[in-house]
Amino acid sequence: MGSVTRTKLMSVMALCAMIGLLLMPVLVAIPALASDGGAPAADAKKEGGEAKVEKGKDVYYKTEGIVSGPPAPKTTDSEKDYPRYNFESRVLLWFANQQHLYYGSFVLAVPIFCMIIEFMGVVSKDKALAKRYDQLAYDFIKISLTAYSLTAILGGILIFTFLTLYPAFFQYLSGIFRPVMHIYALMFVAESGTLYIYYYGWDKMKEGFLKWIHLSMSVVLNVIGTILMFLANSWIGFMMSPAGVDEQGRYLGNIWHVIHTALWNPLNLHRILGNMAFGGGVVAAYAAYRFLSAKTDEERAHYDWMGYIAMALGVSFLIPLPFAGYWLMREVYAYRQQMGITLMGGLLAWLFIIQATMIGILFLSTNYYLWQALGRMRGAEKYQRYIKYLVFLLTCGFLVFITPHTIVMTPAELKAMGGQQHPVLGNYGVMSAKNGGINVIITTTVLSFVWYMRGNKVSTVSWSKFGNIFMGCFFFFAYLNIIMLAVYGYYIPANVRVGLSVPQVATTLSCLFFMFALNSVMMKGAKQMGPIEWGKISARSQYALIMLATAFTWMMGLMGYIRSSVRLFWHVNEIMRDNSPWAYTHTVGFAANMISANVLFFWISIMFVFWLGALAAKKAPVEAKAAVPGRAAAPAVGH
Amino acid sequence: MKALMSVGALIGVLGLLMLIGMIFGVVPSNTVRLVEGYMPMQVLSELAVFVAGFTGLSYLANSMGMAFPRFWQGVLFWAFVQMYLKFRIYPPIPFSVRAMYGVVSFVAVFMWVSANEEDWKKFRQPILNVLDANTGFHKALRTMYLILVPLLIGGFSFVTMKPSVDEPIELRTVHPAPPASTKVHGKTYTLQTSQNPYRVNLEGKYDQAYSNKLIVEQGMGRLMAPNANPWDEKAEGYLKYVREGGEIFFQNCHFCHGDNLNGRGLHAFAFNPIPANFTDPGTIAQLQETFIFWRVAKGGIGLPNEGFPWASVMPPWEQHLTTDEIWKVILFEYWHTGYYPRTWD
Repeated sequence: MGSVTRTKLMSVMALCAMIGLLLMPVLVAIPALASDGGAPAADAKKEGGEAKVEKGKDVYYKTEGIVSGPPAPKTTDSEKDYPRYNFESRVLLWFANQQHLYYGSFVLAVPIFCMIIEFMGVVSKDKALAKRYDQLAYDFIKISLTAYSLTAILGGILIFTFLTLYPAFFQYLSGIFRPVMHIYALMFVAESGTLYIYYYGWDKMKEGFLKWIHLSMSVVLNVIGTILMFLANSWIGFMMSPAGVDEQGRYLGNIWHVIHTALWNPLNLHRILGNMAFGGGVVAAYAAYRFLSAKTDEERAHYDWMGYIAMALGVSFLIPLPFAGYWLMREVYAYRQQMGITLMGGLLAWLFIIQATMIGILFLSTNYYLWQALGRMRGAEKYQRYIKYLVFLLTCGFLVFITPHTIVMTPAELKAMGGQQHPVLGNYGVMSAKNGGINVIITTTVLSFVWYMRGNKVSTVSWSKFGNIFMGCFFFFAYLNIIMLAVYGYYIPANVRVGLSVPQVATTLSCLFFMFALNSVMMKGAKQMGPIEWGKISARSQYALIMLATAFTWMMGLMGYIRSSVRLFWHVNEIMRDNSPWAYTHTVGFAANMISANVLFFWISIMFVFWLGALAAKKAPVEAKAAVPGRAAAPAVGH
Repeated sequence: MKALMSVGALIGVLGLLMLIGMIFGVVPSNTVRLVEGYMPMQVLSELAVFVAGFTGLSYLANSMGMAFPRFWQGVLFWAFVQMYLKFRIYPPIPFSVRAMYGVVSFVAVFMWVSANEEDWKKFRQPILNVLDANTGFHKALRTMYLILVPLLIGGFSFVTMKPSVDEPIELRTVHPAPPASTKVHGKTYTLQTSQNPYRVNLEGKYDQAYSNKLIVEQGMGRLMAPNANPWDEKAEGYLKYVREGGEIFFQNCHFCHGDNLNGRGLHAFAFNPIPANFTDPGTIAQLQETFIFWRVAKGGIGLPNEGFPWASVMPPWEQHLTTDEIWKVILFEYWHTGYYPRTWD
């Protein structure tokens, strides 16, 4: 029994307290659910003696429920429902919402990175590398902490904006979600508490068992963060595809129906992956900025490594993102054909072309970064001469992916084309071709990663020649399969065609998992042509990282706008009409400018956050500085 | 390897000569035909062959000690792609799409020439030379740029600002979103769930799998499936309804939509755009039957706001046809084109 045991005991108690805090809202919510469900019946009994219970039919689940709330308000274009401040209220709300979302995504994503990196450090047998990982995780959470305060401030501003500009709508929505509002608030408190203990306890819990406790705290932190996000997603899910209410918008007493709408699960998955990719991009951009402004080789080495890790983490979530998006769109079509067509074939189709362009930029930037990174390895020259073929594959996939179905043209061009449908472009403009295009792009990205991972190595296993031929054939047949399925898609019914995306995705993911695994086995004990010379990478690669982050930010803004504007003139789709003077769809140009303004503001403000982070680093004591990873000898491993 | 590269180089030279011939009108543009239905893959394959050809050419030039400067390789490859898009593909691609492709190919060329430090140095050297080399040639070039660049910018500004009598560009929505439901002849149809009452099997039940087996083959032949001739006197059920739909089509629709349903009917070219080409995979093949039902019943005049500019002369056929006739004509359109209506199951 000594101080160590007491500390362990205290740590376990702290963890239990935290888990208790996590479970408390759920426990609190159980009686709340029960009382809410039963309240109207009881009220009715009290009032009339004879039970007079009004029942309603759920607009989505088609089940019957007891009417437990007022109908959705029928707003009018008046000061009362839509107060005026000589400015388009919708634009103000758009701005507040977007900034809150940017920061929210960032602070939800970074702790997940921290958890992964800290775990890598804990399980690493190489002490120096473990220290580097630990320091990196700490650097990440430090950036996230300042951003966390800003997220809370922006959340407050958002609620204030809602209350001020759209009081009737906000009152209705908060009425519907009343049974879980307190859970949301309590989760936020739990998140804050856990984050602060996690951050400030870093040094105290850096060894042995305590380190595992610290790591467990990051798991708890991320669980709370994810639940918070799921709750926030239920609001937008409800606005797009309402459930749990009747046709008049009256709450029917089942909060699970309100939360679990048709689009909630696809939105949750899409947002988790999106946040992770975005978080990785932002941290990579931070590292790139620090790399470009670095004064010493040590600094450059450290930030080069940091940028690579952040990029790799971000991209590992970017790769499945289009498939999650595809699932979301499939559910949108299944929910309302009208909504799906408005998004992808109608009014908002051009925004989707811009989105496709952004996705292409993300993958192109990633590939370009990896090709540049080959330059810091001796022995990687053998791959560099084949890069032009990867460029060709990426470009073909990209061109098909961005070909619009609705083409901008003059009437003269339309006439010269002989009708609205072009025999080449028309085929590229539909989903079958686009699935092929994006899968070719992703498979090529996987190939670039494989090349990067074996850049400075020569396999020494006896079957390396066979392994290389097998990998070559695997990729060749993967491309062939993806393209053939894309062509075959034109000859089969649409519902089967939609299903074809499954084998296409499976092909791409097979390349990812099998080829990564095979490559790892082949490179075990491989002969190294030379170490990875961290810091010796072109400046262009860092601009590629900045481009990656900017494209992420822009695309998030764009997709948020698309998702929101697909409701057209509805606050809550088909339940509560938007009768404000701003219930029209903006022009593509205005939306693009607005998104750019949001992106610009976010980057200016996050630069401030970075600057604050750098300020703290400058004040760090000398002994802490000695542990800065860049200063240690760069390990031979690293990717 | 050398033999392979030589073949590649030969193909590259031949391809280039043909393209140049097409640009100057010496070689007919249909010498190597782009075949309808196969064009999309043909175009990508041709580009791949060109890339292989250029690689072969570059390899041979290097072997002979006459390496082609990387700068000009990049510039000329980009120019080649633009020429290919403009002069090879027919019907012509609208400028907006060519501009998109132009930007993407520019980025691709940049990625290629700057993929590694050595190539990047080779590529940018001529540019740096123009900026600061002190040879007489480069000084003259600098002076020329000094005069040309402002002139080009001025010329561009002039052309942009000059009042134009050209028709403005249009962002026409090809498939405007349909309403949730539509009312035709007093009956309301929910577009998400309604079905064509004539898409039935021999037992009279709605059966898309059954009708899918009886449609014509896709592709150039458009052959009828065995024992599935709607004009057979013994044809019953689905096939009979297809025949009836065909009769309605040829009495009312083919004047604009054409005998082959490709939008090139007798009166088609009186309109701009010409009527929808049902044989294109981007039209009815992408849509639910109920969408077609709504468009046929309500016509151009019934297009929603987002269908702006409402460049459609399609009559509201509910004023001329019964509901049953509309369903049958839709049945015929899918049968004839060999496409399957979209479903969500």
